[in-house]
Amino acid sequence: MSVLGQALAVARKDLLLGWRGRTRTLAVALFGMVTLVLFSFAVAADGEVGVSAAAGFLIVALLLSSILALEESFRLEAEDRAIEGLLLLPVDPVAIYYGKAVANTLLLVLLGPILLFLTAIFFSLQLDGANLAGLAVLWFLAAAGIAAPGTLYASMTSRLTGRDVILPLLLFPLTLPILMTGVRSFDLILRGDAMSQLKGWILLLTAFDLVYWILCGALFSRTLEE
Amino acid sequence: MNPSVVTSNLAKRFGHKWALAHVDLEVEAGQGLLVVGDNGSGKTTLLRLLAGLLLPTLGKVEIFGAPPQEPGSGARARLGLVGHQGYLYDALSPLETLEFWNRLAGGARSPADLEALLDQAGLAADRNRRVGGFSAGMRKRLSILRLHLEKPDVVLLDEPFSALDEAGRGWLLGTLADLRRGGATLIVASHDPERAAPLCDRAIRMDQGQVIWQGAAFGQGWAAR
Amino acid sequence: MGILLLLVGSYMGLFVAPPERHMGEVQRIMYVHVPTAWVGLLCATLAMVFAVAYLWTSNSKWDDRLVGALEVSFLLGGLLLVQGMLWGRVTWGIWWTWDVRLTTSLIMFLLFAGILALRAFVEEPLRRATWSSVATIVAYVDVPLVYFCVKWFRSLHQVQSSPETVHSSMVVPLRVNSFAMLFIAIWLIAWRARVESKSRGEERPPTRRQVEGEGNV
Repeated sequence: MSVLGQALAVARKDLLLGWRGRTRTLAVALFGMVTLVLFSFAVAADGEVGVSAAAGFLIVALLLSSILALEESFRLEAEDRAIEGLLLLPVDPVAIYYGKAVANTLLLVLLGPILLFLTAIFFSLQLDGANLAGLAVLWFLAAAGIAAPGTLYASMTSRLTGRDVILPLLLFPLTLPILMTGVRSFDLILRGDAMSQLKGWILLLTAFDLVYWILCGALFSRTLEE
Repeated sequence: MNPSVVTSNLAKRFGHKWALAHVDLEVEAGQGLLVVGDNGSGKTTLLRLLAGLLLPTLGKVEIFGAPPQEPGSGARARLGLVGHQGYLYDALSPLETLEFWNRLAGGARSPADLEALLDQAGLAADRNRRVGGFSAGMRKRLSILRLHLEKPDVVLLDEPFSALDEAGRGWLLGTLADLRRGGATLIVASHDPERAAPLCDRAIRMDQGQVIWQGAAFGQGWAAR
Repeated sequence: MGILLLLVGSYMGLFVAPPERHMGEVQRIMYVHVPTAWVGLLCATLAMVFAVAYLWTSNSKWDDRLVGALEVSFLLGGLLLVQGMLWGRVTWGIWWTWDVRLTTSLIMFLLFAGILALRAFVEEPLRRATWSSVATIVAYVDVPLVYFCVKWFRSLHQVQSSPETVHSSMVVPLRVNSFAMLFIAIWLIAWRARVESKSRGEERPPTRRQVEGEGNV
């Protein structure tokens, strides 16, 4: 069977598991919402914050929730050593990586509408059809940029005790470029793009995504060695 | 001479401890090998090395002349392992599990085939329940079905009879006898060797990671003395 | 020898070279700051090279060197941040500014700290070696991304100073100190690699035992 077909089967399985464990998936979304509420009380309870601050909160909320989603994704693989069962079938590790990375991206994308809606309410952002399309693209790229290294690192940390500390420690500094380009693009989409910089930022974000998706995919199989 | 599984000077170290050392095996295609030893003698490590799940620290493993650790070598496609773990996802039903494995293994089986397999394993009535609610024996039966799906040329079994009831053991013995008739090589690690011995031709006894006795599987020469 | 060179270089930097026109005596921190940055970056690059070499060969001697390079880069990164903050406090009146180089150094420092923390949690040497090699490669590739990102982000606010204006009497102590630091760093890496290689324990398996029974298996 082709690597692509295997990757799709793995992604399908992960999404099915996400749906079966939907109480947990929902809890991840709820966690993201709680962090947003905390942010708004911490800095904006007595007034307005700028659009870029709101964008920052939104993407940080995504990052914090992603840790929970990624850990769950590999907890299920580690529990009965299911991932070894895949390797024995035999599934190419590259297919496992891309299947899981795609599924994790989609799960993070699903957080988008909920978190964005809340942000818009809390920080009174003006959303309309035109900027929603841009935000959707941006959200997808940001989710993909977090999921790619996240899938690589969660595969390692899921097999450790004390993983709760290590995964964010590795992932958060790494995703700074995603955070910065994300915030800047968000700002440009909502406040207008007077100097036509948006395209550059989105391209930069896409380039980062590509670097992570290629590099992490190439390295993943080595993390399975024992 | 057509060896299916060959190891030479195979050794594996975890941290400071050598779990396995100086293992030289040569198993003919179609032969059955019984691996006997106490807990911690290296049986599981040996099987995981043969399956390519572990990298050798020293020496090498060849399955039909190819190293099993490399995903693209083709050796992995020819071997099957039933181990302590069932490789199951708790949130899937047995039918979904089989469908998923079948799709990854190339999708050769029809849905009706899969239903028939579940029936054979005595899981037909539970085919839409979640695996998470299964007993250890039911989980074991489901993981044994992988052998029916894959029809491997090299069958690696690590304590295959544990958790199974009498009927389950009989079914597993029948499965293994069928596979051997089809020309498969069998390597069985067990501390319940009386049951596995009739399936095997030769036996080795392991102690502290090394082979300390080798000989015929019948006659109970492998018993500890 | 490295320490000797460092002493000579620092003496030249502190007492021989002329004070800088605008910044005065504080500028003398440059004689350690710039070499720290250069050598720190070099050690990070070495870590990357060792990580690739390990993944390529799976030879644990590269992992020993990788630990050394990671720890020395971590140390130099920490020193760099402290020096940068001191400099910032005196020249700009603030401890911290989100300047391109300072931010990139901070992120690199955090990334390497994360890898060292990962190592501390993995007990199995083979896993520890492959995982830290993988993490090192990803982190190293990430550093230029962070750099360009911060640069773009800040591009409207700051213009970078160009280093060509440095006077030749300042160049000599800079060079001497750089080599001094380089020697110390390499010595530390080699030393750390030796310690790591010793702690890995017995390389050879236990002696082969007699096989009893009949025939070959």
